[in-house]
Amino acid sequence: MTTVSAAGAQPFFLPAHGGQRYCLYHPPRAGAAARGAIVYLHPFAEELNTTRRMAALQARAFAAAGYGVLQIDLHGCGDSSGDFADARWLQWRRDVTLACDWLRARAAGPVSLWGLRLGALLAVEAAADEAADALLLWQPVINGRQHLRQFLRTGHTARMLSDGAPDADDEVAGYRIAPELARAIEALDAGDFRPGCPVHWFERSGEDGELPPASARHLAAWRAASVALHEHRVRGSAFWASADNADCPALLAATAAACAP
Amino acid sequence: MPIDQVRTILRDTLGLGKLRLADDAPLLGAVPELDSMAVAGVITALEERFGIAIADDEISARHFATLAALDAFVQSKLTP
Repeated sequence: MTTVSAAGAQPFFLPAHGGQRYCLYHPPRAGAAARGAIVYLHPFAEELNTTRRMAALQARAFAAAGYGVLQIDLHGCGDSSGDFADARWLQWRRDVTLACDWLRARAAGPVSLWGLRLGALLAVEAAADEAADALLLWQPVINGRQHLRQFLRTGHTARMLSDGAPDADDEVAGYRIAPELARAIEALDAGDFRPGCPVHWFERSGEDGELPPASARHLAAWRAASVALHEHRVRGSAFWASADNADCPALLAATAAACAP
Repeated sequence: MPIDQVRTILRDTLGLGKLRLADDAPLLGAVPELDSMAVAGVITALEERFGIAIADDEISARHFATLAALDAFVQSKLTP
């Protein structure tokens, strides 16, 4: 495995509603042909933490390949201002604009949105407004309602197994979700959007090499609507779902191959 | 056999590799990987694989007692 130095990554804060957003910029490797810039949109709640390592590995790989990568912690998430209970979807949309504007002010060239899990759905929704040149979607959430239900389920199973102190009614694993945020997420479905830019869809396939039926149906609908879709099936761990910060080398390899010049 | 599909999902979701999982082997409380987050993950994987919807109040520890119990639960959701 090629070791990519993180020494060049530049942390900084951008002023934004409610205070500031923590950002980490990975400049393209000096000497590499400039390939454009990428905004990374992270997953929901605890998945932000379980995916940190994979996001960092990929960001560095992109930088080594000549892309500038901006990671931004959305409002209420990570090291940005606000509590999770303050998070609102519309503000997250504005955070996406903030990140894209920052990149476009610094260099010409394409700006792509790279999203993981719910971040992928955010990217799909934002693509048109941000005039994204491409969408890189890792394990995309297709249906917001289902995603939220699966998240809330973790609170229920924890209570069922008495893993620890019971959560309050509106809180799961320490995350309080404002009703407005829940409603906004529940209203979202990737099928309501028709990205006008190329889409690279990376998703974990089962032992039989197939994607879940809902994903297959969604991809078929996008193809029928002439979305420029590139599907990449990946074998490996569901790293966003486990707390052990596992890697998924196959996903890194598939992404590198898809973005090769 | 449908129970083999459930077995595959369990092994896949819990990262058990080729670990042999007998139909009647104890799961919950015996397989250390099966914590509450993993249970939620298995439920989600079963929903996606079989196209079923599982409500919170349907999730009970007894469904996770053994592989056979889990398969019976899935079959009950599939049979109209």
